[in-house]
Amino acid sequence: MKTYRIEIDANLCSAFGSCVDAAPHVFELNGGGVADARTAETDDAGVVEAARSCPMGAIAVYRADGCERVA
Amino acid sequence: MKGDPTFWLLARAGGLTAYALLAGSVVLGLVVKTRPLGRRVRQADVTDLHRFLALLALAATALHGVALVLDGAVEITPLALVVPGLVPYRPVATALGVLAAELMVAVYASFALRRRIGARAWRRLHWATYAVFAAATAHGVMAGTDSGRTWTLALYLSAIGLVAGLVAWRSLPRTPIPEPRRSTA
Repeated sequence: MKTYRIEIDANLCSAFGSCVDAAPHVFELNGGGVADARTAETDDAGVVEAARSCPMGAIAVYRADGCERVA
Repeated sequence: MKGDPTFWLLARAGGLTAYALLAGSVVLGLVVKTRPLGRRVRQADVTDLHRFLALLALAATALHGVALVLDGAVEITPLALVVPGLVPYRPVATALGVLAAELMVAVYASFALRRRIGARAWRRLHWATYAVFAAATAHGVMAGTDSGRTWTLALYLSAIGLVAGLVAWRSLPRTPIPEPRRSTA
């Protein structure tokens, strides 16, 4: 079981790319200029920073073992 | 003014403070988009400060308007704060100030409504920030009592220079920021 579960609201993503800066091993911008997570769950704590730095608030990070939202 | 200059001074200070805060917020918004400092600053901090300065700019703008109504040096009704063109003093310049304030409110509110209106509409509305900045600059220069002072001129020129420089930077082709190496320890 991983630590964090990631959800991206693709309708809100505006390709600022700050998530890729914060957690480059987890996030990437796809051909359409929308952020994709390479994995739905991860132990990389950078995803919390990625969610906080998203200017659109398009990324939600939850604890994988429950519904608690951490960012 | 009519004797007590308190509200007159508050109006002038509020207007200049609002302009400086607006310029700061616009500059930081461009920093969020263009990332001229790379990884040397945390994007989350810049984004938070961008929004906070915008909120403070709105508060200072409200202070500017309310103080002008209460002062009475120029006859300004509460209605004139929301309807452009009702202020007899330099009507074009003051109308630009009213329009800038209203657009600023709309842009700020759009963030809270971004899920409802969608990212595309939010981005289009955010482009109006440039119009807000231009109108606020014109309003300050054309209607401001202090616009002839050296330090005020320095404020306007610094703000215009920073915004223009970052807009130019934004238009340049972007070099990807290198990924940090993953620790193997």
